[in-house]
Amino acid sequence: MSLLDLKNITKDYPLGQTVVHAVRGLDLSIEKGEIVAIMGPSGSGKSTLMHVLGALDTPTTGTASLEGHNLQELGENELVTLRGRKVGFVFQTFNLIQALTAQQNVELPMTFLGVKKSARAERARALLEKVGLGDRMEHRPNELSGGERQRVAIARALANNPEIILADEPTGNLDSETGATILELLKRLSVDEGKTMILITHDPDAAAIAGRIIRLRDGRIVEEARHVH
Amino acid sequence: MFIEFLRLAGQNVLHRKLRSILAVLGVLIGIMAIVILISFGLSLKGLMTGQVSKVFGVDTFVIMDQDVMSRSHSGGMKEFGLNLGTLKGVEGVKTVAAIRQRTAFVEGGTNAEGTPQQGFMPVMGLSPELLTDFTAFTGDLMFEDGGRQITEADVDAAVLRRELADRLGVNLGDRILIAGEKSNEITATVIGILAASDEKEEKQGFGASMGSSTADTIYIPYATMDRLWPEGNDFLVTVVRILPGYEVDDVADRAETALKAEGSRVSAVTSGDITNVIDQMMSYINIFLGALAGISLLVGGVGVMNTMFTSVLERTKDIGVMKAVGAKNRHVMAIFLVESGLIGFLGGVIGTAVGLGITALGCFFINTFAGLPQGVAFPFVASPTLIVTTLLGAFALGAVSGLWPARRGSRMPVVDALRYE
Ligand SMILES: Nc1ncnc2c1ncn2[C@@H]1O[C@H](COP(=O)(O)OP(=O)(O)OP(=O)(O)O)[C@@H](O)[C@H]1O
Ligand SMILES: [Mg+2]
Repeated sequence: MSLLDLKNITKDYPLGQTVVHAVRGLDLSIEKGEIVAIMGPSGSGKSTLMHVLGALDTPTTGTASLEGHNLQELGENELVTLRGRKVGFVFQTFNLIQALTAQQNVELPMTFLGVKKSARAERARALLEKVGLGDRMEHRPNELSGGERQRVAIARALANNPEIILADEPTGNLDSETGATILELLKRLSVDEGKTMILITHDPDAAAIAGRIIRLRDGRIVEEARHVH
Repeated sequence: MFIEFLRLAGQNVLHRKLRSILAVLGVLIGIMAIVILISFGLSLKGLMTGQVSKVFGVDTFVIMDQDVMSRSHSGGMKEFGLNLGTLKGVEGVKTVAAIRQRTAFVEGGTNAEGTPQQGFMPVMGLSPELLTDFTAFTGDLMFEDGGRQITEADVDAAVLRRELADRLGVNLGDRILIAGEKSNEITATVIGILAASDEKEEKQGFGASMGSSTADTIYIPYATMDRLWPEGNDFLVTVVRILPGYEVDDVADRAETALKAEGSRVSAVTSGDITNVIDQMMSYINIFLGALAGISLLVGGVGVMNTMFTSVLERTKDIGVMKAVGAKNRHVMAIFLVESGLIGFLGGVIGTAVGLGITALGCFFINTFAGLPQGVAFPFVASPTLIVTTLLGAFALGAVSGLWPARRGSRMPVVDALRYE
């Protein structure tokens, strides 16, 4: 059994009178510990695919399963708990909560799972140390640089020690140098901690850290390549 | 987890300072208005019941016309007939003092042209007991030099106000002719003139206490009244003090029953009866205030709701993020409810504080500058019940107003929220 399993997935969005077919029949299996890059032109369905992989959304048809749990069979609250425990997200626009400090942002996923305050604070600080922000814990997002924000977001993604990290263009809003250090960090973390990572990117350099590259076009996989590092 | 949500909500409130301040202000004004209105109401009630108990004490009741306490009563006092002997004979009665009033033809001195000054005036007969035993009813009378109050020994004596003395052309020691029924008439000596009342009219004794007297009234001894009008069907009020060891309500009931059995159309009124009337009046005022309060709270609530809709919309992306990292609908809901509750609570705290402050200041100014009668003061009442109720109510108002926006926010699908720019 694969960690993630998509079988003949489609995703349609109704749009006025018409229907947008964002994903049109897609099979994909991802094993534990893999680093997979998903590439493709804008509008090809990458984010839509990521939402299904991350249990944020259910496919219109087909089956999606995470660690053997069929997502379509789960209720909304079970879905939330599953993704809270199993998936960590990193977004292009960082998506930190502006009103909270770096440490509070990292604590947030643990808060929703009901982790005790002291345990939460301890883990949040350890994670921020790990991403090199030991001296930025009390900063709010607008008091941090883009690269620092993304590192806070990565620490947050790791908060509940998830199996999978889903990163949607994590370097898209960063200059190439900062982007490179973020990629370095992501790669190190996924190797060190044995995390499965799915990386959506336009950037060939970013894709280079992946063991497998999947190309999408018009909601279908058009190319799949394995890298040997 | 509530603490986290409270912090998150608090930070959101602080984060959008101006908007939060405006929403808080909306609640604040409503709460402040309520606190002021209710506190002043409580002050007023305190003042009135304080006055009533000061005049009555626990051992006094009055006999008045039977319609006086009824709802249809239109104010002013009606005269009634009464047998004082019967009243004095009621078990438990210690002292009885009565006031009778009639309109009589009165003639004083002459003016500069030698024309006699005369006219029809109210004449009041005062029991000597009223002046000795019930001073709380008469208040402090201010006599001009050389004047004095009527005593039991006086027969053909009269007391009147300065204004009336001037009009009748009389002074201390002069004589006034008072004509009663048939050919009864007396020539009374002016033994006291009450100082000109100007704006301090309220201080001039039982005229105000009894609620009927005017500057025109001539006061004469009770026995003299009896001589002018032997038939006692012109009582304004009778004041009764009871013997120690009796319950005022019991004695009042007995007195009323005994008098009614003789056909007197009277009602015995105790301080409890008056307090009840005040309570009832206050309850009407409170209903009116409640309606006002409801309207201002509604306005405040709509303000909070508006702010919360904006807040939810503005934080759509945050909602998506929180849901992505494991927030359930009820978490999102709770965060927004705490936020709106907090806005309400802040409005409540500040509104209550400001409202109480204004009430205290108002009482202070009224007591200091309004020229209230001696010993009469608006008590400032900071009712703990009122404070707790308004604080809880303000929090509830905020939370309830946030319910709809919070629900909307919490039900937003996570993917849509994440894609929101
Ligand atoms: N909620 C929606 N309603 C309607 N159409 C949508 C919705 N979300 C996505 N789409 C459409 O689905 C298609 C795939 O969108 P998606 O966001 O997955 O593309 P993407 O590959 O992530 O693009 P980009 O590289 O620009 O992020 C697009 O054509 C988009 O317009
Ligand atoms: Mg995308």
